[in-house]
Amino acid sequence: MSVIAPPKPRSRILLVSALIVTAVVVASFWSVDVTWSRLIDLPADIARYLWLMFSAPTWEKLPEALAQTWRSVAMAWIGTVLGIVVATPLSFLAARGFGPAPVRWALRGLFSVIRAVPEIIIAIIILSVTGLTPLTGALALAINGVGTLGKWGYESIEGVPRGPIEAVRASGGSTSQVLRWGVWPSATPEFLSFWLYRFEINVRSSAVLGLIGVGGIGDMLTSYTQYREWSTVGMLLIVVVVVTMSIDAVSAAIRRRITEGARTR
Amino acid sequence: MTADGTSGPLRIPRRPRGRWKPWLALAVVAAITAVTASPQWGVAVAFDAIARNWQNGALKIVQLLQPDWAFWPRTVAPLLETLQMAVIATVVGALLSLPLSLWAAKLTNPHAVGRGILRTVLNAVRSVPDLLYASVLVAMVGVGALPGIIALVLFNVGIIVKLVSEAIESNDAGPLEAGRAAGGSQLQVNRAIALPDVWPSFINQTLYVFELNVRASTVLGLVGAGGLGLLIDAVRTYYRYDQLSLIILEILVIVVVIDLVSSAIRKRLV
Repeated sequence: MSVIAPPKPRSRILLVSALIVTAVVVASFWSVDVTWSRLIDLPADIARYLWLMFSAPTWEKLPEALAQTWRSVAMAWIGTVLGIVVATPLSFLAARGFGPAPVRWALRGLFSVIRAVPEIIIAIIILSVTGLTPLTGALALAINGVGTLGKWGYESIEGVPRGPIEAVRASGGSTSQVLRWGVWPSATPEFLSFWLYRFEINVRSSAVLGLIGVGGIGDMLTSYTQYREWSTVGMLLIVVVVVTMSIDAVSAAIRRRITEGARTR
Repeated sequence: MTADGTSGPLRIPRRPRGRWKPWLALAVVAAITAVTASPQWGVAVAFDAIARNWQNGALKIVQLLQPDWAFWPRTVAPLLETLQMAVIATVVGALLSLPLSLWAAKLTNPHAVGRGILRTVLNAVRSVPDLLYASVLVAMVGVGALPGIIALVLFNVGIIVKLVSEAIESNDAGPLEAGRAAGGSQLQVNRAIALPDVWPSFINQTLYVFELNVRASTVLGLVGAGGLGLLIDAVRTYYRYDQLSLIILEILVIVVVIDLVSSAIRKRLV
């Protein structure tokens, strides 16, 4: 007795899109300016460099590395705070039911344009005014933060239950009172949580911003990479990984405490 | 005054305790901000220099508002290279991630030690930004698209494996147990039962990572890793902000178009 299996569903769209994707991928591999024969001795090369970096990391420069890391983290913090201060009022204006429609659409457009530009380019644009200082880095992170924080902000404001808002309106509350007593109590946990998340993102980005010379751990890393002092580069990478992971862990713990509440005893 | 007959002053429940906690948190935040903003300990938030340089900056912004359209032919090749890097890195990253995702999820890999090692390594890989990888890799393998692709692949594997293995773990364990009970080895069970369930989330995350790659590959060239970034670096050294603004416009268009297409496909998938 043979098993009769139902025929597999096929769709023409799926087939066409698979063909397009394959064509694009093949074309990219074929046309890109990479000598693929290099890949043969690449693993050995990379293993050698990894050995140079991590077999005996130089720890003498650790104090300087920590000072530069602190600078990066300070940049990230200031960037986050400035971003929050600017983005929060804007996200109220961009939320349906609070801002007038033209303002709402203008702000949403602004947020998505900002989100499409990498922060390092924002830093390049503003450094003609602010110079190569850590403040430039912080401002670039703040501007980029307005894009993401603004979007998350209006989304969570729109997700707030209507009941309390209507209740405040019904008892004669003004718009600002509606925001304070109807929206804010239910939106706070989400806001706090994505503020912290944005700080985590900024900690990573602040290391990157060092590459254009605004200071911090990224700046130090590029200089030592250019001097090809691999043992110091290895130490710096370890510092970056440890610091980022610990900040992530602390921030994730706080976020969990905020969104899930205290553990019941 | 009272309808139900009771009299006396209205009894208000006592305010819950612990209302000082938000204020404490606020004070801590304010203290950290003060320290990080102070000139000797942190970022030195000083707006007087900005006010002094404003003239200079205003000139640059005027330049930014007038893109140099004649520059367009020179941007085509780097733009294509950016897209090539993003496509190749996405494909390679996705191919590497699929087996690793199955390895990193509890349901599809019962061995805790191997899983733990893989996850720790990937957590470490994810905590270094792609541009830092690129700048180190450029020193290792030389200038060009190759270090950029490798940096993007590293970053992609970190993200896809995390998101897809989390999706696997949120799946129902029942079918997998049924497969084991029917005598399948872990490999057979993963291939026949877990894999079909993984596809939608895998494709979804791959497209998401493609969006991230397009965005990231536009700036990887700043450290010498190929693509538009090389051009950005060149025009910024000569302060050609009119050309920079054309490049930024191109990045905007590409990122927005690819985000729209990719999120339309992802919406259909889910």
